[in-house]
Amino acid sequence: MVNRLISITDGDITIDGESVRKLELTQLRRRIGYVFQQIGLFPHMTIESNIGAVPRLLGWSKSRIRSRAGELLELVGLDPEGDLRRYPGEFSGGQQQRIGVARAMAADPPIMLMDEPFGAIDPIARERLQNDFLRLHRQVRKTVIFVTHDIDEAIKMGDRIAIMRDGHLVQLDSADRLLASPADDFVASFVGEDRGLKRLRVRKLDELELDPPAGDDSSASVSSDTTLHFALSRMLAEGTTRLNVVDGDTAVGSVSLGTITRLIAPPEDANGHLAADGTSGHPAAEGAGE
Amino acid sequence: MTLALQPVFAAGGPVIPNFGGGSNCVVQNHQFCMSWFLDNFHSVFGPAIVQHIVLTLIAVGVGMPIAFGAAIFAYKQNWFETPFSLFAAFLYTIPSLALFELLVQVTGINRFTAEVGLVSYTLLILFRNTLTGLRGVPPATIEAAQAMGLTPRQTLLRVELPLATPAIMAGVRIATVTTISLATVAAYIGGGGLGALIFDAIQSGFKTEFVAAGALAILLAIVADILLVLLQRVITPWSRRRLQTT
Repeated sequence: MVNRLISITDGDITIDGESVRKLELTQLRRRIGYVFQQIGLFPHMTIESNIGAVPRLLGWSKSRIRSRAGELLELVGLDPEGDLRRYPGEFSGGQQQRIGVARAMAADPPIMLMDEPFGAIDPIARERLQNDFLRLHRQVRKTVIFVTHDIDEAIKMGDRIAIMRDGHLVQLDSADRLLASPADDFVASFVGEDRGLKRLRVRKLDELELDPPAGDDSSASVSSDTTLHFALSRMLAEGTTRLNVVDGDTAVGSVSLGTITRLIAPPEDANGHLAADGTSGHPAAEGAGE
Repeated sequence: MTLALQPVFAAGGPVIPNFGGGSNCVVQNHQFCMSWFLDNFHSVFGPAIVQHIVLTLIAVGVGMPIAFGAAIFAYKQNWFETPFSLFAAFLYTIPSLALFELLVQVTGINRFTAEVGLVSYTLLILFRNTLTGLRGVPPATIEAAQAMGLTPRQTLLRVELPLATPAIMAGVRIATVTTISLATVAAYIGGGGLGALIFDAIQSGFKTEFVAAGALAILLAIVADILLVLLQRVITPWSRRRLQTT
């Protein structure tokens, strides 16, 4: 709907205050990079032409398109020398989706729309693509709308997560807030019974108020930029309830099992949140849909 | 068409040799006389081959735009497929001699009549293949094109038609080979070409001319097919390049 591949029947979507319904269709679409599950590379065009499709529409010069395509291939981790002249059929699914991402970014659109981009890719390649895209996103700073049915992917990729159900927005929050206080039973079941554990993955030690260092050199230590999830698993592995936290070589404090469990415990306002939403109180089983 | 090579006269007795002072081979009307063939290639077969090629080129050249336009229209407007298919299939099913005979009553015995007949036989194949090719374009590719802001016209020209090319070319190959072969029958109504030599030979009973013209028509079809395959490879370089390991 954002790029009007599906037309809007009711309501509106605005980009920088401008309604997408009022923008000219092709102009709107050329400003939104689109990546979707089926990738949809043009099989009859070289990688260079694929990436250059939108720039060509915008009237870029050949040399500019070429250098841009090479730059983007490098950015997504492909070979900017040899791969430009090859055809999509010569690449694996994961590589094709990297090209798809490069193509979507070709004309440097302010917005990227990613519709289950890594859905059809095997788990190992998907994990790598997610990490690469996160790194990429930190470099390019764009607004990315990322659609997924995989809550773990949403938690990993999203700054803010919107949960949709039957066409309605159920909750819009950060991953941490979503896991800490789901708006209703549907969201709670969707984020999973183990949401407490999942929260540990999105929180890092350096976000916590640490206890003073244990002073005892024999206790194990973890880096302050590790997740609580990792810290907990270290505790379990070491058979200890307290870990020293280090930043580089300097000890910055320690974390105890109690600190972590207090974080998992539901915060005070969880009930207030539940009451605020009209769909609360439904049995969890009803929330099985997406 | 292909029965042109059957030894129709094999069982017959000596035929009156009216070729004036020919070689022994010709006088005795052997199955094939190489020396006569070579002697007359330039004056008899050469022009007939050229005429045959022109006949075919015009037929496919006229049939292609008609079928092509109809297929694109049917691709955009689904309702058009059935009526045009029926029309083309109807033309295609009429036995060639019957169609030619019917046409003669309208346009007379001449090259034009022959072309009308030949064109009508190319339509079904070219229409079907073009439409199938267009419909075979992956929906994801079209969605990507639309999402990128290509207009419907740009999508057709830059994405859909190029991707339909292998199917279209397959249609052109079949249509061309069929037309080369049908064009021999079109000589019956004044099409000329190699078919005229075959009809000549049937009347005179001169086997060498008959065999040579038939063989040349086959050769022409094979050569045309090879050339079209090569052309297709040149214009669709992407279709042969695939990931080797999966």
